[in-house]
Amino acid sequence: MTPTTEIEVKSLSFYYSGTIRALQNISLPVYKNKVTALIGPSGCGKTTLLRCFNRMHDLYPKHRYEGEILFQEKNILTPDIDLINLRSRIGMVFQKPTPFPMSIAENIAYGLRLKGIKKKSELVERVERALRHAALWEEVRDKLNSSAYDLSGGQQQRLVIARALAVEPEILLFDEPTSALDPISTAKIEELVSVLKKYVTIIIVTHNMQQAARVSDMTGFLYMGELIEYGTTEKIFTNPDNKQTDDYITGRFG
Amino acid sequence: MTFEQKRKIESLVALSFSGLAAAIGLFWLVYILADVLIHGLGALHISLFFNDPAPAGVDGGGLRNAFLGQMMITLAATLIGVPVGVLGGTFLAEYARGKAIARIISIVSDIMVSVPSIVVGAFVYAILVKPLHHFSGWAGAIALSIIMIPVVLRTTEDMLSLVPWTLREAAFALGAPRYKVIIQVVYRGAATGIMTGILLSIARVAGETAPLLFTSFNNNFFSTDMDRPIASLTVTIFQYAMGPYQNWHSQAWGAALVITLFILMLTIAGRLILKWRYKQ
Repeated sequence: MTPTTEIEVKSLSFYYSGTIRALQNISLPVYKNKVTALIGPSGCGKTTLLRCFNRMHDLYPKHRYEGEILFQEKNILTPDIDLINLRSRIGMVFQKPTPFPMSIAENIAYGLRLKGIKKKSELVERVERALRHAALWEEVRDKLNSSAYDLSGGQQQRLVIARALAVEPEILLFDEPTSALDPISTAKIEELVSVLKKYVTIIIVTHNMQQAARVSDMTGFLYMGELIEYGTTEKIFTNPDNKQTDDYITGRFG
Repeated sequence: MTFEQKRKIESLVALSFSGLAAAIGLFWLVYILADVLIHGLGALHISLFFNDPAPAGVDGGGLRNAFLGQMMITLAATLIGVPVGVLGGTFLAEYARGKAIARIISIVSDIMVSVPSIVVGAFVYAILVKPLHHFSGWAGAIALSIIMIPVVLRTTEDMLSLVPWTLREAAFALGAPRYKVIIQVVYRGAATGIMTGILLSIARVAGETAPLLFTSFNNNFFSTDMDRPIASLTVTIFQYAMGPYQNWHSQAWGAALVITLFILMLTIAGRLILKWRYKQ
């Protein structure tokens, strides 16, 4: 079965401050309901690439995109794209947990309210569904109205995932989601990622190569802003074509 | 003498001097507070709050007009100063962060905080009182709000800057427009800090006399007209303390006690809010 292409990156280059090139001529497909991992040493541009998908760079001045990112065959790098709509379809989970200063339930409801959902019963139902999807429901069902800051780091990260899932995005971007977590919380998030791909397409940036090997179907190796190699995770980790890729995954550099 | 002994003596000398300095500072503070308390408590009588001043030299009467006037001026100053300060701080921290204009406004605000308040009074006198040919409560409120604005603005800016950027990015990533990110996420994160700044700025202006001398002046009669001269506690204290009558002095002490307690309460409330926030 050939997978459907959800996103097609075509000759993407990205510049910070107008002139500093962070990404160079990147092309890759992202398949629907698969987990795509982006790996590479620090500063290689993997997070920069991830932040192109939801146009996070637009928050800062003097950025410049070149090339195209086709999301369901529509270029999302054009100026006329509605970023609010785009970001509700492409969710993001950050390196450090980012719960809002509100209750657990309010955190989840926040995105739903942004989408214009006001009915109490629907909010309650969707909050529960999102928390169940993020495997957090059992732990928080009795304290939905307490502050999100009362949760542990791992729970906060799953809360943030639930919040992103609640608005039913088509893509979920993970930016090193476990780098601030302990091993047990990390295992839970990884398990979650594997389950979630049934509902969403996932792109994950990770420093941890075992993690990429465990959770992803496709892997892209970036180095100095270029995509060195892209293929199935199995191939990249067992028999890469490129020597640099081989050196990196075997730990000889990076 | 060994090296350790020498070090211990040095430490003892430093400790003695700094302890002495602290004691001198605290002595005057306690002396002033105790003095106000002793003299003020005697004057605290229900009639102080509910009677208007008696004719000069006649016993009795109260400062109802000054209490009311003080409240009206402070409230009006807060209503003008807080929105301007909070919105200005929001502009600096959220919309103009990192831009030259933000730095300039910040520095100017810092200078404004330390401008002598009598200068502010003279300024408002020149732009509002003189052209309109009369003192007014509004002029007093505006003078106080000018003192408040830089305090509120800088605290708001600082408190908003403490909210991590990732929190804003997370809200943007959910598809929130900028104004919603600021109002619903960033303000919530900084609410206690901003509230503390507001309380402390009210405490700061509530004890001001100099700017009111030139603007709201004083009024010996009961008045709620902010467009006319209006009494305030601080100016009344100034006038009564300088006056020749024994009961004026006594009432000035009473008013001083009340305003001191009011400012003390605001300050404590501000500190408690901050402490409560950081305990979380």
